[in-house]
Amino acid sequence: MKRRTMLAATALSLAAITGPGFAQSDWPERPVRILVSFPPGGSSDLVARLLSEKLSASLGAQFVVENKPGAAGTVAATALQEAAPDGYTFMLSNLTPFNVAPIRFPDTPYDPIADFDHITYVGTVNLALFAAPSTGLSSLEDLIAAAQADPGSYEYGSSGVGSWGHVIAEHFQNVSDTELFHIPYKGSGPMRLDFRSGVIPTMFDAVPQNLPSVQEGSAIALAVSATERLATLPDVPTFTELGYDVVAENWLGVSAPAGVPEDIKTKLDTALTEAMGSEEVVAQFDNWGLVRVPKTSAEFSDYVAGQLQQWTPLVASALE
Amino acid sequence: MDLFANLALGLETAISPITLLYCFIGVFLGTFIGVLPGVGPLAAVAMLLPVSFHLEPATALVMLAGVYYGAEYGGSIASILLNIPGTPSSSVTCLDGYPMARQGRAGLALFATSMASFFGAIFGVLVIVLLAPKLADFALLFQPAEYFSVMVLGLIAASVVSSSGALRGLMMVCLGILLGAIGIDVNSGETRFTAGIPELRDGVSLVVVAMGLFGVSEVMVSLRGATQSYAGARLSWRGFFPNAGEWRRSALPALRGSGIGAFFGTLPGTGQTVASFVGYALEKRINRNKETFGKGAIEGVVVPEAANNAAAQTAFIPTLTLGIPGSTTMALMIGALMIHGITPGPRLIAEHPDLFWGLIVSFLFGNLFLLILNVPLIGLWVRLLRIPHHYLYPTVIVIICVGVYGISNALSDVWLALGFGFLGYMLRLFRFEPAPMLIGFVLGPMMEEYFRRAMLLSRGDPMVFLERPGSAALLAAGAALLLFATFSPKQIACRIWGRKSQQGPAPRSSDGP
Repeated sequence: MKRRTMLAATALSLAAITGPGFAQSDWPERPVRILVSFPPGGSSDLVARLLSEKLSASLGAQFVVENKPGAAGTVAATALQEAAPDGYTFMLSNLTPFNVAPIRFPDTPYDPIADFDHITYVGTVNLALFAAPSTGLSSLEDLIAAAQADPGSYEYGSSGVGSWGHVIAEHFQNVSDTELFHIPYKGSGPMRLDFRSGVIPTMFDAVPQNLPSVQEGSAIALAVSATERLATLPDVPTFTELGYDVVAENWLGVSAPAGVPEDIKTKLDTALTEAMGSEEVVAQFDNWGLVRVPKTSAEFSDYVAGQLQQWTPLVASALE
Repeated sequence: MDLFANLALGLETAISPITLLYCFIGVFLGTFIGVLPGVGPLAAVAMLLPVSFHLEPATALVMLAGVYYGAEYGGSIASILLNIPGTPSSSVTCLDGYPMARQGRAGLALFATSMASFFGAIFGVLVIVLLAPKLADFALLFQPAEYFSVMVLGLIAASVVSSSGALRGLMMVCLGILLGAIGIDVNSGETRFTAGIPELRDGVSLVVVAMGLFGVSEVMVSLRGATQSYAGARLSWRGFFPNAGEWRRSALPALRGSGIGAFFGTLPGTGQTVASFVGYALEKRINRNKETFGKGAIEGVVVPEAANNAAAQTAFIPTLTLGIPGSTTMALMIGALMIHGITPGPRLIAEHPDLFWGLIVSFLFGNLFLLILNVPLIGLWVRLLRIPHHYLYPTVIVIICVGVYGISNALSDVWLALGFGFLGYMLRLFRFEPAPMLIGFVLGPMMEEYFRRAMLLSRGDPMVFLERPGSAALLAAGAALLLFATFSPKQIACRIWGRKSQQGPAPRSSDGP
């Protein structure tokens, strides 16, 4: 009798541990790591810190940001791929390590789609083409006309060979039948310095960090690479509406190594979506120029795969 | 007058008890972070960033900035006492600070660095106050050609940093430049010398190289039995204070160091390490007592410390007024403001004058705190040397590993630092010095990048370096320096003397830099 009770108790507790309800009720039980592929301080890092603070509060376990910068984000993505899919390691994923670097570096050790679960879409930062006021250019058509009149005379800056700015600039030259002269930089900071001091007349750069210069009048945004006009630059046309198919979205999302239990993914997605709906987060995202269109988990997964399809030929042709 | 109105506005912000308290917390933490080899302001600022979510933006920035410039004070302490720099920018302080300590003048060296740090920082703040709006424009006058020429000038000056002969110094500079070439080439996007290791694609971190070459190798040298006998001398308070002659000798070098530091601080991306090395190298060229450099000259600790502290202050100008961070730590400052919805940029001073001027005035308070904090601590630091080496050095290695791991949470950096430690040890066995290698490592890649960018912009015409007046003037200064070095009788005497000493019995390599 006694023995039977014990067996029953054992069976019950086993059921409790292995049963489907377990993770749902108990995850997270210990600190959760959020890998960030940038050094601390950048806007992606701030997004990760803001969201992990919200998740820590709503899910009752510490969400810790861990910066693993390097090699175009592939160091962080490789660490994510190698982590156990137990719901305790996630990454603030973005365009570069998942849609650009794997094409640029053929020895990248992971498959950006098959090796990961892309769980929640966070938002997007767009790229714009800026011209210095001293150039006298005030529209994209001006630049195209000037560049066609004297091919290769206009320099443009990008934040590096194989960066999204470079890839998109090469694509833009193809579709607009122009030839610009590429000056690559190590990141956006030194490029903006040279742009401001008149060394380079134009540059392709992310919108948010250039808004103060646009407001001041020291940078003119000719066109944005978004699907529709940005709330922060309502007077600036998109490339698409001017007739050039140039769209670039540096998306941010939350991804995990493939094989995380469904219920953990659901719980995380729900908590993240709720956090991103809060007034405080919406205000901060607006502040940082992060554009957010709600996407379900499945839509986000498809989106990442679609982006890879879209970027593959562009990256390959830019690096030719 | 505008200036006084601005300062009054800043004072209003900076003098509130809460801001003063956070300013003190910042500089206090900064000093201690600076003392620990390898653990830099980046780690401390990153850890404090979440705290700053809940503070007023001005208060948050005052605290984080305090950590940043406070670390420059602490960085020299381990350089002097242990020959292990706390921060890369105080590497050059080892060259004369450690010999001073071995002569029993550790207290004096520490006092001199505290004073020089304070002097340099105040100089930097004054430059900001008097020239703030113009300083940003000054940074904009520098184009790739000027950056290249300034790096050339720096490298020419650096070839004298070595005290083991010009040829050996030059070899080390070249090795440093080669190491700096590791990583993705900016112009072609190709990887160079990475051996297929993705972690090396962005090159090797300065902290890793500095901590390996100076820190780990020093510990390895000490395994062969370093002495502690120098620790006790001049421990009395009177021994800490410079005598009249030492004050006099230090005044002009401190001014020159501060000027050089303030200049490099305003150029984003060059920073404190370049400032301290170039300041030291130029001083060694022009100082009347240049023969004593490397053997415990007080000017040799005053100049780099004045330079790196002045640079730490003026580095805030491009960060705040152009929104362009010169280093990762500065990027964190920008992040701290972005959390509060403020994007640093050209309109910052106009839109948030209380924040900008409050920060500048807080620099004055912070540096005063640092001086008050550091001078009484000298006695305590000197007593560090009484800790038996078999406790002290393993602790140092652990701290270095933790600090180096913290740069980007990568174990590969720890292995690299240990590898550079072994390399540094081997080099020192053969009487090569790590200091010129470090400056080659810092300046070489920048020189290449700016050279190639200037050439791209001129479509391959090298005349661009001579046609731009700023660049031409800098190159002329470099040429003058070379000529002066080649034909100065003193220099020739020095080299002959240097040869002789190499033929003598090789001294123990712990006598090194």
